[in-house]
Amino acid sequence: MRLLVIEDDAILRESLAAKLAESGFAVEQAVDGKEGLYYALEYPIDLAIVDLGLPEMSGLDIIREAREQGKTYPILILTARDRWEDKVDGLDAGADDYVVKPFHVEEVTARVNALLRRSGGWASSVMTAGPVSLDMSRQELKVNEAAIELTSFEYKIIEYLMVRAGQVISKTELTERLYDQDFERDSNVIEVFIGRLRKKIDPDNTINPIETLRGRGYRFALERGQSG
Amino acid sequence: MSSLSARLLISVSVLLMFFFGVTIVVLDTAFRSAAEQAQADILDGHLMAILAAAEPTDRGVLALPPDLQEPRFGNIESGLYAELRDDAGAIVWRSRSALGIEIPTGAQPQSGVRQFLNETLADGTPLLMLSLAVQWEFPDGELRPFVFKVAESLDSFNAQIAQFRRQLFGWFAAVALIMLFSISVLLRRLLRPLRQIENEIGEVEEGKRSSLSDEFPTELTGVARNMNVLIDSERARSDRYRVTLDNLAHSLKTPLAAMRALLNQSQTGGFADRFNEQINRMDEIVRYQLRKPAASRAGDLTLTLISVEKEVERLVEGLKKVYHDKDPSIATVIDEEMLFRGDAGDFLEIAGNLLDNACKWCDRRVRMTIKSSSGHASDGGMVLVVSDDGPGIPEAAADVLLQRGTRLDESTPGHGIGLAVVKEIAESYGGKLEIGQSDLGGAELRATIPVS
Repeated sequence: MRLLVIEDDAILRESLAAKLAESGFAVEQAVDGKEGLYYALEYPIDLAIVDLGLPEMSGLDIIREAREQGKTYPILILTARDRWEDKVDGLDAGADDYVVKPFHVEEVTARVNALLRRSGGWASSVMTAGPVSLDMSRQELKVNEAAIELTSFEYKIIEYLMVRAGQVISKTELTERLYDQDFERDSNVIEVFIGRLRKKIDPDNTINPIETLRGRGYRFALERGQSG
Repeated sequence: MSSLSARLLISVSVLLMFFFGVTIVVLDTAFRSAAEQAQADILDGHLMAILAAAEPTDRGVLALPPDLQEPRFGNIESGLYAELRDDAGAIVWRSRSALGIEIPTGAQPQSGVRQFLNETLADGTPLLMLSLAVQWEFPDGELRPFVFKVAESLDSFNAQIAQFRRQLFGWFAAVALIMLFSISVLLRRLLRPLRQIENEIGEVEEGKRSSLSDEFPTELTGVARNMNVLIDSERARSDRYRVTLDNLAHSLKTPLAAMRALLNQSQTGGFADRFNEQINRMDEIVRYQLRKPAASRAGDLTLTLISVEKEVERLVEGLKKVYHDKDPSIATVIDEEMLFRGDAGDFLEIAGNLLDNACKWCDRRVRMTIKSSSGHASDGGMVLVVSDDGPGIPEAAADVLLQRGTRLDESTPGHGIGLAVVKEIAESYGGKLEIGQSDLGGAELRATIPVS
């Protein structure tokens, strides 16, 4: 998943980005409002973290503009102003949640996970589809209650697919959203990772969790919710 | 006497009474003396007519014809009497009208001099009497003295004077009333701009308008302009204060957040905990100090009227996003057209903290009711009750909770100062915050804002 962090304080922005990268996210960083708006409108991102008090352009304006341009990804506000007036203004403008400074970085990660899950239509903190369950906060995938050992990139792929369970995700989208920098990676790499994931999740080919749609991409195919 | 128009009306009334009083006295005196003169002239005319009608007889006395020119002399009790006496006072002739009436003798007039006297008849009827003593020269050349008297009852004269006075008073009273009425109408017109400026200031205080209009007469434009400058500067000051606080919050808390993030990266264990504790303390202080009520007094020129329903709607929409996973059912019952008179931020702070608190602690249900405390939804007085079906707040803990920054449960972040802030804001509006037991099973928080 690709996140956008718009925060003018370098230390805070970098610590936050580092922590989020540690949690398996690809992170774009913007240092002021203008740059932030550019990223927010032009980059393929899954969630934006926006500081309200930014130079060049206020966080509220970025949120309004992004929503006006039809961007639907979740937006988390970072605010130093914790009067309800400011929070309500932010939520009203189109943000989905807020974190008040000074926050614990873990709090931000937790909110980010919850928002991403929510944006995929998942209600509970552990996403379960048939025998497969994924706990975003612990980055843990289980099949039939047994934990599956995954590399960080494998985890990124299954997380992305599961959050958007039922949707068709193209290889391009996967490369764009999962790689930190270089979008030009060989799409064969994705195929390789998908192949490995299938083997790990479904070694006996019984549940077939990831479908390939020729020429279109992949789809996490298991029905949401606990099965039998 | 606080009203200008009352002062003016009373002063004008006193002046009018004085001038009209003097005018009435002058007019009455003038009319009376003119009427008396006319009366005297008429009597004189009658006297002359009788004098002319008198004829000497052979017996050496004067005689008058039975029918005089003036018919009233011939009618009994007509009010006009005449008699003729000789120098011994004996009656020589009396008009028929004087039958049975004793005309007062009065003092003996000097010969050839007209003497007017006010006399009274035996029955109390006032008379004006004219006597004239003459030396009548008879044909035999002898001069004999006689006294001619003509008297007229003053009843009709007095009635005429009274009638005149009645009319005079009537007219003057009518004129005075018309004048007072006209003056009060004029005053209303003249003082209308003053009343308007007063009303507009009231509306500014109530938050119904943001500045005074510019439709005042020249004499008042300066006042209105200065008032607007004052309102603007007051508002700008309050905005500046808010912006300063925001900037201060931002510039203090961002480094705090950065410190915390750095600490997170590089340190663990006891040192990090102690350091974090200090960051928490600083954060608490900053948050508490910066969330203080924006509007601190009633009658503040910067207050506005806030539609409670709209703000609560925004708030509930926001909270539904924030508590998306928990998805509490938030019911709001708000009196129709309920208005909060004050700072929008203050209202949101009260409602936001209470609702957020309820959402945080509830099991499933949260209910907010906002009712007018006075029965008039628009005067700003309100009781705001937020109930939930959570664990509730033990009575003993309630007081502690309302103290600034005290947390009952350290594990729920951000729970520390919210209620203390609500309490402080409610108190700054002259109200209070009470903690009780809700019929939903959990806590009930009741903020009361009186009519300001």
